Amino acid sequence: MGSNAAANHPISFKYVSKAMERGAKMISVDPRFTQTSSKADIYAALRSGTDIAFLGGMIKYILDNNFIQEKYVKYYTNAAFLVNPEFKLPGEKDGIFSGLEGHTYNKSTWAFQTDAVGVAKKDMTLQDPNCVFQLLKKHYSRYDVETVSKITGTPKDKLLAVYKEYAKTGETGKAGTVMYAMGWTQHTVGVQNIRSMAIIQLLLGNMGVAGGGVNALRGEANVQGSTDHCLLYHILPGYLKTPLASQATLAGYNTANTPTTVEPKSLNWWKNYPKYMSSLLRAHYGMNATLDEAYSYLPKLDNGKNYSWLSLFDAMYRGKFKGFFSWGQNPACSGPSSNKTREALSKLDWMVNVNIFDNETGSFWKGPGMDPTKIKTEVFMLPCAVSIEKEGSISNSGRWMQWRYKAVNPPGEAMADGEIINELFHRLRDLYTKEGGPLAEAITKLSWNYGPMGTDCKIHHLDPHSIAKEINGYFLKDTEIKGKVYKKGTLVPSFAYLQDDGSTSSGNWLYCNSYTEKGNMAARRNNSDASGIGLYSEWSWCWPVNRRIIYNGASVDPDTGMPWDREKPVIMWNGFKWVGDVPDGVAAPGGGRPPFIMKPHGVGSIFGPGLADGPFPEHYEPLECPIEENLMSPQFINPVIARWDEINKNGIDLRATCNPKFPYVCSTYRVTEHWQTGVMTRWTAWLAELQPDMFVEMSVELAKIKGIKNGEQVIVKSARGEVDAVAIVTGRIKPFEVGGTTIHEVGIPWHYGWVTTAMRKYVTGDKKPEVFTSGDSANLLTPFIGDANTMIPESKAFMANVEKKGV
Amino acid sequence: MTEKITLCDLSKCIGCRACQVACKQWNQLPAGQTHNSGSYQNPPDLQPNTWAVIKYQEISDGNGGVKWLFRKDSCMHCTDAACVKVCPSGALYYTKYGTVGVNNEKCIGCKECVAVCPFGVPKYDAKTDKVFKCDMCLSRIENDMEPACVKACPTGGLQFGDKEEMLKAAYERVEVLGGDASVYGDKFVGGTHMIYILPEKASVYAGLPEHPRVPLSVIAWKDWLKPLSLLAAGGVIGASFLHYITHGPKTPDEDGDQVNTKGGE
Amino acid sequence: MIKVTDSFERIVHWGLALSCIALMISGLGMMYHSFNFLAIPVGGLKYLKYVHNFIGLIFIVSVLFAILMWWKEAGILKFPEDVEWIKVAGGYLWHVDNVPEVGKYNPGQKAFFIAVALCGLMMSVSGLIMWFPLSLPVVWVRTMYFLHALGFFIIFPFFFVHLYLGTICSPGSASAIFSGWVTRAWAKKQHPKWLKEMEESGQLEVYGK
Repeated sequence: MGSNAAANHPISFKYVSKAMERGAKMISVDPRFTQTSSKADIYAALRSGTDIAFLGGMIKYILDNNFIQEKYVKYYTNAAFLVNPEFKLPGEKDGIFSGLEGHTYNKSTWAFQTDAVGVAKKDMTLQDPNCVFQLLKKHYSRYDVETVSKITGTPKDKLLAVYKEYAKTGETGKAGTVMYAMGWTQHTVGVQNIRSMAIIQLLLGNMGVAGGGVNALRGEANVQGSTDHCLLYHILPGYLKTPLASQATLAGYNTANTPTTVEPKSLNWWKNYPKYMSSLLRAHYGMNATLDEAYSYLPKLDNGKNYSWLSLFDAMYRGKFKGFFSWGQNPACSGPSSNKTREALSKLDWMVNVNIFDNETGSFWKGPGMDPTKIKTEVFMLPCAVSIEKEGSISNSGRWMQWRYKAVNPPGEAMADGEIINELFHRLRDLYTKEGGPLAEAITKLSWNYGPMGTDCKIHHLDPHSIAKEINGYFLKDTEIKGKVYKKGTLVPSFAYLQDDGSTSSGNWLYCNSYTEKGNMAARRNNSDASGIGLYSEWSWCWPVNRRIIYNGASVDPDTGMPWDREKPVIMWNGFKWVGDVPDGVAAPGGGRPPFIMKPHGVGSIFGPGLADGPFPEHYEPLECPIEENLMSPQFINPVIARWDEINKNGIDLRATCNPKFPYVCSTYRVTEHWQTGVMTRWTAWLAELQPDMFVEMSVELAKIKGIKNGEQVIVKSARGEVDAVAIVTGRIKPFEVGGTTIHEVGIPWHYGWVTTAMRKYVTGDKKPEVFTSGDSANLLTPFIGDANTMIPESKAFMANVEKKGV
Repeated sequence: MTEKITLCDLSKCIGCRACQVACKQWNQLPAGQTHNSGSYQNPPDLQPNTWAVIKYQEISDGNGGVKWLFRKDSCMHCTDAACVKVCPSGALYYTKYGTVGVNNEKCIGCKECVAVCPFGVPKYDAKTDKVFKCDMCLSRIENDMEPACVKACPTGGLQFGDKEEMLKAAYERVEVLGGDASVYGDKFVGGTHMIYILPEKASVYAGLPEHPRVPLSVIAWKDWLKPLSLLAAGGVIGASFLHYITHGPKTPDEDGDQVNTKGGE
Repeated sequence: MIKVTDSFERIVHWGLALSCIALMISGLGMMYHSFNFLAIPVGGLKYLKYVHNFIGLIFIVSVLFAILMWWKEAGILKFPEDVEWIKVAGGYLWHVDNVPEVGKYNPGQKAFFIAVALCGLMMSVSGLIMWFPLSLPVVWVRTMYFLHALGFFIIFPFFFVHLYLGTICSPGSASAIFSGWVTRAWAKKQHPKWLKEMEESGQLEVYGK
């Protein structure tokens, strides 16, 4: 659900296929019948944007029929915790939770009741009306099958078939997993979509066990690596928080970010936060600055401000940016509302486009609708190397870090990204050293031991191994831990050994243990599986500390320590210690340590007060939707999302809901043959031959209404833009009956762009292209709106129209 | 040498086309300009430069829903291959694995194979005046490697191995699948070396002949007429000689006495 | 010497005959793998195919002229004399005292003409289609391959008998189609009725006696 693994992650589907051969049942829930659906035991269609209703119905079904794994729920989740009696649910408050003030929630009513010491009060019988379990029941009592069917458009019998099959995994010893992707995340309620499933998995006892989990299929080969090393603005490597302007000192910063708990027996692993932060600062600045000085160099976020993609491009659109590094991306096609994005790029003074090929971003100024004479942006193209032209590592969806090798040299002037950054660093450092400048030390004091030093005291070529080692971390002085002495300059064996006093360094505490005195763990290629459950513990390396299934402490009975699943145990107590996977902070059997060690309370959150839009997922309609009201409650859309359509009255962020000009729900998705905005794949002739043209899939019924024939040229339009496409009329999409109205849905892939090989200038000796693609980006249509927590754009549900070309 | 079979289990095929591209890569086949004509299927059919193509087909599931079928269309490598039968130059030939090999150097572009293949596999390229088709990666299987398509398939839908083993696996899988599932290929044209496991009835699959066979005209031509022609030719030459030595020539009367050297007139 | 054929007839005959022989040889080289060596003089099977195809065009033109030219005389059976002739196999197989007198061409020759006409046309059509097999639905094309082979099966025996009868079996016959002239004795023996009719109508061309 929320993904199409067979099409977009075919290698992962190999394992789904094997599981099905062994008797596993596969359920596919998707607005369209996809390649994954074609292999499913049960397929259920749902209208884009109604996943919470669908899953909420499942939660009600599980609770009504008592399919929960009771002991797991009691001891491993916060189901027994008592919540502030002032807390109000959407059912009592016209669709919102208690505490909404303007566009944010005051979460004081979302807190747990605590005793005198501060320990959360619990009712292990799960009967107290204020306990999370009863609140959950009450909240999802509104998600009966009739209502859910009306909202999602899924027939009742299908809903029940799905619920019945999946609820079977609640049985002790049984597990079920979900593979999700952008189908869940790219909504204004994206995070809550995933939360719904997390709640289901906790109720069924499917977290921390083999075959369980809520598994993200990542959309790029190393996006897991990029999030782990925290390329996003709000986090530092290892999911540490970016400092706020109000956190003037390292101590203040640490206090604000280090959770404390008085829960007895809770390990609260994040209590070690200061160790990781100090080690990170050492990795950046070495001994060139004290910890406090190093902290002072870090950029700080203005309190309360958001610097994510949407805010960034909106600011760029208003002319607030002079320069922009578009590094290994193609915003002109990948960002929502491409017309706004492309317009935004024209406001820049300069742009650096680091990519392997020219793309719609670097060439935005000569794109359709652009007048180059009126654009002053200077574009620098820095050609970079592809993955096989450089050595390094990538991390996959399973958190496995794998070392990769260089096969060939990059062509011409292309350089690996790291080498480009290395060059930039040296030149910037020189400039700052010579000319000074605001906060010059932030650059000049950086320690940069990432390669062999030249005679000019500069590094001209990076050594990826020294970077990997830096990420792992070193002892910066002789250190004694538990009677053993670790010499200065040796690699830290794991993050358990990191210190907060600046005596250790680590570029990312999560990866501490990946490159040790024993060698490059990520380079391991032993494909034997001692576990028998597919852990392959000696193939590559996994964080944290090579633990393949995190929270595996939840896979055993809290009293006896016996695995729930005797035939497929993740960890097992052999009388002296845990064997199997690397055990996750679990104490000896009967020790009572709650297994979710990264949470202050140590238990899985069924009630999740940390999110911006509610502690329980609640169904809201997408920003643009086909019906006039939310059938679940009077609150139409998510109340806490940022609304650019309200800020920008000039029409660039126009919203069209229930607008007869755009009567069809439109969603975006991928195909096997192309990848992202297609910059690499449209240039690969074999792939372009497979999927040459932008297309739109629509139902037979809709095609009949519009008089559109299969294969005909059409235009797909939204309030923000339009794109040409070939119509694929298919029985795999069917209209939805939503609250008595027939709603049509169409779908478009987002892999195309107006730059084609047909436009390139070729010099003699260049390989000529064989195949040209056609079409432009699906994002010309998507709305400039994001999730309440992550700001990921709502590309999966908006309103559009389809017309024959020439009409 | 043992006979080899490529087993294509359509119940596992997800239409990802890794096989289609792997084939192009191994055989260094160029891509060609295509257009979306309302389907993911591209190129629309096998071509001289496309030796494996995934065919996409949507059918009703009888319950208001839909089934999406994917089929890898490529040479079936028949034991009784019509193409080998008709090829005048021996460019198409049987390999020691039972597969049908292609020696393009020998191909004279007569296109007889194109016309007689019951599966419509060989494709003619006007530019090079030659016919092309899958050769089951002979260069790979001769070196103990599996065909490129088999290697690339992520779900295990394609397997390669000894004939007995693969057929056994096929029948076991069909047993597990139940319903309309069947093994396709072992019961005609002497048994094919590309065997399908079809989850649906063969008649459902577009372009897949239910009862493929070497065309009768080819059998009549190659198995009957060819030997008969030699017989007839030899026979008539022999009969003429016999006639001459027994009956003798017919000479004009005016050349004097009726020259009658042998026997009666 | 009696003139029996004019130059046009002879040109068409030889065009037909030589192209037919070349087609049979080149066809043989492609039909049987053991005869592939026949392609060596032209540089390979590919060129042998070109030879076959283009000489086929000459054949087609020749056969069309041949049919147009000879169908009246050689294509129609005359009753009752042709049937009587057939009953005695023309005297070729056993001794016959009096072979029935028939017209310019005897039924044996007529049978040969009909065979060549029909099979020749069939070979032409099937050959053209085989040259461009992708232009028609396969079911038709496959039939053509069979018919083309059938054509050879039928034509070759007729051709060989024609060759035998036109050379060593009937001395004096060959000049009829080489120079166009035969001896009076030959004409009297082979086609007495024709000779009589030509003399009576005054159409007979004679040189010498």
